[in-house]
Amino acid sequence: MYLYSLTLQRPGGVVCATNGNFVGGKTQEIVVARGKTLDLLRPDESGKLQTVLSVEVFGAIRSLAQFRLTGSQKDYVVVGSDSGRLVILEYSRERNIFHKVHQETFGKSGCRRIVPGQFLAVDPKGRAVMAAACEKQKLVYVLNRDAAARLTISSPLEAHKTHTITYSVIGVDCGFDNPVFAAIELDYSEADLDPTGQAAADAQKHLTFYELDLGLNHVSRKWSEPVDNGANLLVTVPGGGDGPSGVLVCAENFVIYKNQGHPDVRAVIPRRADLPAERGVLVVSAATHRQKSMFFFLLQTEYGDIFKVTLEHEGDRVSELKIKYFDTIPVTSSMCVLKTGFLFAASEFGNHALYQFQAIGEAEDVEASSATLMETEEGFQPVFFQPRGLKNLVRIDQVQSLMPIMDMKVLNLFEEETPQVFTLCGRGPRSSLRILRPGLAINEMAVSQLPGTPSAVWTVKKNVTDEFDAYIVVSFANATLVLSIGETIEEVSDSGFLDTTPSLSVSLLGDDSLMQVHPNGIRHIREDGRINEWKTPGKKTIVKVGSNRLQVVIALSGGELIYFEMDMTGQLMEVEKHEMPGDVACLDIAPVPEGRQRSRFLAVGSYDNTIRILSLDPDDCMQILSVQSVSSPPESLLLLEVQASTGGEDGADHPASVFLNAGLQNGVLFRTVVDMVTGQLSDTRSRFLGLRAPKLFSAIVRGRQAMLCLSSRPWLGYIHQGHFLLTPLSYETLEYAASFSSDQCAEGVVAVAGEALRIFTIERLGETFNETVVPLRYTPRKFVLQPKRKNLIIIESDQGAFTAEEREAARKECLEAAGMGENGSANNGDQMENGDGDDEEKEDALSDEQYGYPKAESEKWASCIRVLDPRTGNTTCLLELQDNEAAFSVCTVNFHDKEYGTLLAVGTAKGLQFWPKKSVAAGFIHIYRFVEEGKSLELLHKTQVEGVPLALCQFQGRLLAGIGPILRLYDLGKKRLLRKCENKLFPNTIVSIHTYRDRIYVSDIQESFHYCKYRRDENQLYIFADDSVPRWLTASHHIDFDTMAGADKFGNVYFVRLPQDVSDEIEEDPTGGKIKWEQGKLNGAPNKVEEIVQFHVGDVVTCLQKSSLIPGGGECVIYGTVMGSVGALLPFNSREDVDFFSHLEMHMRQEHPPLCGRDHMAFRSAYFPVKDVIDGDLCEQFPTLPPDLQRKISDELDRTPGEILKKLEDVRNRII
Amino acid sequence: MSTFGGDSWAREAQNRKRRVDDLMLSTSSSGDASSPSFKKLSSGKYACLVCSHNPILDTPLMLSIHNKGSRHIAAQSRVREKELVKQDELHKRTALSADACSLSSSSSSTLQAKHSGHHDKPLTQKTVKVILEAQSNVENPDVASTIHNSKTRSALCDPKFIPTNVIREPSGNVSLQSSMSNEKKLLMAGTADQKMLVDWHSELRKRQEKELKFTAAGWKRDCHGKWYKDENVEFDSDEEDPNITLR
Repeated sequence: MYLYSLTLQRPGGVVCATNGNFVGGKTQEIVVARGKTLDLLRPDESGKLQTVLSVEVFGAIRSLAQFRLTGSQKDYVVVGSDSGRLVILEYSRERNIFHKVHQETFGKSGCRRIVPGQFLAVDPKGRAVMAAACEKQKLVYVLNRDAAARLTISSPLEAHKTHTITYSVIGVDCGFDNPVFAAIELDYSEADLDPTGQAAADAQKHLTFYELDLGLNHVSRKWSEPVDNGANLLVTVPGGGDGPSGVLVCAENFVIYKNQGHPDVRAVIPRRADLPAERGVLVVSAATHRQKSMFFFLLQTEYGDIFKVTLEHEGDRVSELKIKYFDTIPVTSSMCVLKTGFLFAASEFGNHALYQFQAIGEAEDVEASSATLMETEEGFQPVFFQPRGLKNLVRIDQVQSLMPIMDMKVLNLFEEETPQVFTLCGRGPRSSLRILRPGLAINEMAVSQLPGTPSAVWTVKKNVTDEFDAYIVVSFANATLVLSIGETIEEVSDSGFLDTTPSLSVSLLGDDSLMQVHPNGIRHIREDGRINEWKTPGKKTIVKVGSNRLQVVIALSGGELIYFEMDMTGQLMEVEKHEMPGDVACLDIAPVPEGRQRSRFLAVGSYDNTIRILSLDPDDCMQILSVQSVSSPPESLLLLEVQASTGGEDGADHPASVFLNAGLQNGVLFRTVVDMVTGQLSDTRSRFLGLRAPKLFSAIVRGRQAMLCLSSRPWLGYIHQGHFLLTPLSYETLEYAASFSSDQCAEGVVAVAGEALRIFTIERLGETFNETVVPLRYTPRKFVLQPKRKNLIIIESDQGAFTAEEREAARKECLEAAGMGENGSANNGDQMENGDGDDEEKEDALSDEQYGYPKAESEKWASCIRVLDPRTGNTTCLLELQDNEAAFSVCTVNFHDKEYGTLLAVGTAKGLQFWPKKSVAAGFIHIYRFVEEGKSLELLHKTQVEGVPLALCQFQGRLLAGIGPILRLYDLGKKRLLRKCENKLFPNTIVSIHTYRDRIYVSDIQESFHYCKYRRDENQLYIFADDSVPRWLTASHHIDFDTMAGADKFGNVYFVRLPQDVSDEIEEDPTGGKIKWEQGKLNGAPNKVEEIVQFHVGDVVTCLQKSSLIPGGGECVIYGTVMGSVGALLPFNSREDVDFFSHLEMHMRQEHPPLCGRDHMAFRSAYFPVKDVIDGDLCEQFPTLPPDLQRKISDELDRTPGEILKKLEDVRNRII
Repeated sequence: MSTFGGDSWAREAQNRKRRVDDLMLSTSSSGDASSPSFKKLSSGKYACLVCSHNPILDTPLMLSIHNKGSRHIAAQSRVREKELVKQDELHKRTALSADACSLSSSSSSTLQAKHSGHHDKPLTQKTVKVILEAQSNVENPDVASTIHNSKTRSALCDPKFIPTNVIREPSGNVSLQSSMSNEKKLLMAGTADQKMLVDWHSELRKRQEKELKFTAAGWKRDCHGKWYKDENVEFDSDEEDPNITLR
């Protein structure tokens, strides 16, 4: 089995982000690392974040930094990854790529303790960069420029110190003095040597300054001083005239200003009033805002509260440090303050957000200051605050992120053309069920009913220079309706259009006249109101029309073509006639190219399954230039011209070309390139779109020509980041469409379907899926489908949270207490001064999603079981588990010859604790009955078990449960589950169970798969095969009788298969291999499964599913990952394809090494050698290569670049 | 050879006689060649396998004389009787357990059939053959073929529901068979005993299935055939007691 791996949805989570001016000019961009992809984002004029570039780097990006050489206009990106190399990237606007400027190797690849890459720090003046490892190693590179102003990099200078753990590294701003780097370090050499543990308990963190002496070209430890042991993060304080220099040390509960030769200035971080005393407050991310005259810091705590930190200073003496409550947003992994007044918050989990600053926290609020810091015998006096609604920030855009995907199922519950992907995403209060559908999202702006069933719709401008359309013209079976577009859309009769006949085409002709083509003639409406009418000769009627701004071609019944052209006076003149052999099925003229008089090509489709290209040049007018035969009569034609561009809006460049698109009656879209000079057709591609013949319309998307194809569902063909994409729209079937532009909606589409006129816009271009979000209460763990009623049953559980009732009670109490407390402590100037009523109002507005749940002790759990109707998104039943129980596993089960029918089994744990040692008070298996037609649940009974039941599964009318290392078979009893049979021989903990026929496939948390059988006559469960590789399983899926697919926590996906002969032997053996099992082999099962597929995804896969995403498409394995990406593994079905793609992959590896410096082969084989999987993500980078390189590779493969692109498109179309 | 004269005729004649003896011995010793009544030892002597004390005889002649002896004949008839009884028992058992195990074996064999067919599964093949033979011996070919059909039909069923199938399918067969034999009874007399046989079979099968259900539910049997509860297994308060149900 050979598989083709393809990422369908890029990861959504963000590991780290940095902002700067990477493009050049005045714009501000953000570079975000999403694990293994690097994205360049830019907020556009309307405040929407646009992804300018997204590159897969085939390595794990661990840190990012940005720097600028003095006097330069552009920022560089430094990438620290697992490649053992330091990479400096520059964004190339012309080619829309990241260009690798330098790549310096310093160590082994992989995420290792002592190989740098985890931390990066740059000198604020861009003179040096430090790459540090978690332990021991620190390397400093000096950055400079040569005579040609190119960036140069020195060989590394070492600043190693053994037995030292590093927590944070930054560059200290000290103007143009020698660059200084600061680090929080912990020396463990003594702790290592002291067996009593005393030294370990006494270990102390230090803040160390490293100075790079540019004169001596040497790094020295300049200064080291103890800091709080809770210190975790450093923030650079501006220096060199702009500020006092030095660093802010963020520690648990405190922020401390430190500098060499300066006393500490310490202030306490305000605490939420409802925070348990045992919990500290840690800063998790920081951003600095600098202007010429002032600077401040925004620090976010682990609860999401942002504090504004300001320093009172005179010269380089800091007198006071103030921490003021700013706002609360979801916890971020990284924050970027843009100079344009935006804050990009890359969320730790869930959607990211772009905020605009309304104010910079000048207003009165809770403030802690170093001046008012009070020390008592219990420590420092804390300052309390209550979170409130956003005051300084306003959210203007969201970036979708599925991170983390906890569970996923591909089902077609809504009976649509393609199945839906149901994913459980997010964490805590931000968790959600997201229903993903392949296709682009639609924003419906208006739907209005029409009198009758329209057959077609057009939009026209009054003048070519107009920005917006003037009329919407709707044609019915025997009438035409004209609507004018203004403030509102209303019917008009003074437009000059003939309304007593159906229309065939309506368009703008010349600069300012309108044309209506109806079956009996052409009506030409001049700007001054004069009307010229051309009548068809004899009894013939017009059947088809093709037109652009200056040319019109009509096809009469019988197959006669008449060609009109607009002359100098604005008159439509008949130029040429041409008799076609038969009736014309469809025709189209390309738009007039820029600076030309006419378009050269006319495409005519006939019912004899051919498409002809005719010339419209005066020299060889109506001569057939080329003929293309197709598989079925064409229904609709569209000539799409792609203008040549270099570094356009999306920065991509592509040569000019004309594409002929044809929608065939068998539902296939046929696409071919028209040679601009000769009119020859080449490079044909076809794709099945749906059961109806696609009708093609041109539209404008992001200022470019695009194509709408209306088949059984609408599709959009458009260019995104230099690639032509053909994607379905998530909308109903449409009849006819036209592009639409008005002042409310610049780039919309007007369409007719049924009796309605619909206006919509297309959103979030470039995405594979669009999503419907249903919010959930706690972190979702697993879900199952109730087979009969098609409801979803979701189990959710959160550690350290209060249950809903407790929260409600606490909130009430808190409200009362807040009123009391405020009165009591009115003398404290730092307290909030809001009125009570105001406060209460805001309290109610606080959404858990934004502010997080109040924190409870870590051994407290909150959990619920939810029955959700996916069609409406309504929760029909929500059972909150009581008594500190949390649900971990769920399955539906039909017990044999018991009266209840389908029951629900839920495995729970009570009082689960992970630290200091994993312990559990009790485990339970709840059995619920479905009542009210599966909408609700009723507890039948609950059975106590000795561990956490992490896996449940139905087997032969009974329930199999994995409880710790025990696999147990339960039967349903009257008051409890009855233990019938068990096997205690599993190595660690059973995490999932699959069954198929009489086989049981058990996944162990650390030891991969175990294949088991149950013997009825002996009432015994026994293991007959297992894996020889210890895999730490995170996901598993049953593929076939002998094969299982699994994913481990190191980011590998693998398939194991029981060898055929062994499988036969087991099936044939009357003892079922029992005799052999009794012998065993090397403490394991007698038989071993073989690994048949192995692939390093580079991201922890949490769920696997075998499914097909397109109707009639091949089945593939779909996976979801922690970072929120969705990928697919498609089995190849021909040997040639395997050969072709493995060769392409090989050439791509050689010619286009990954951006972060990790060897591609090494990355895909990070833990185990890659086996029989071809990396589609690498192959799909082929179109981004420069043309000469493309040609070189294609020559090696004995093909043309076009053929390779076609192959890549084909294989993608097989998956989605 | 000897016709040409010479000294060696006697030895040759002796050899010829021995050869004839050998042949005579192998043909006359017993009907089926699969289980000869004697064994030729490596020393050239013969051991009688029928008699309980396995006498060793020096020549074929002596063996043939021994074979004609009354003690040997008595031993032989005993052995034959034993074998016949065994054969009968075997037939009976395979016929009785035919459907219950044919289902399980057919389910497994269909699995295999999915992969590579029956051909390289000698054991499965053999079992299937024996069952078929036994069934066609016991019942008339029509019934056997219906059984065969129903077997393939059940194999097509979703194997997830094996346990319920095991319970239901055979009874379905029985009704089918009994209805068929009912028709037969109308047509020709003398099939009543056949029907009884079928009933008896299904009865047995049901009982077997019940027993299996009890073992799966955690009951065990002691050496006297009495049922007792496995101490590692839990039971409902009103669980059926096989000692009563299966009386």
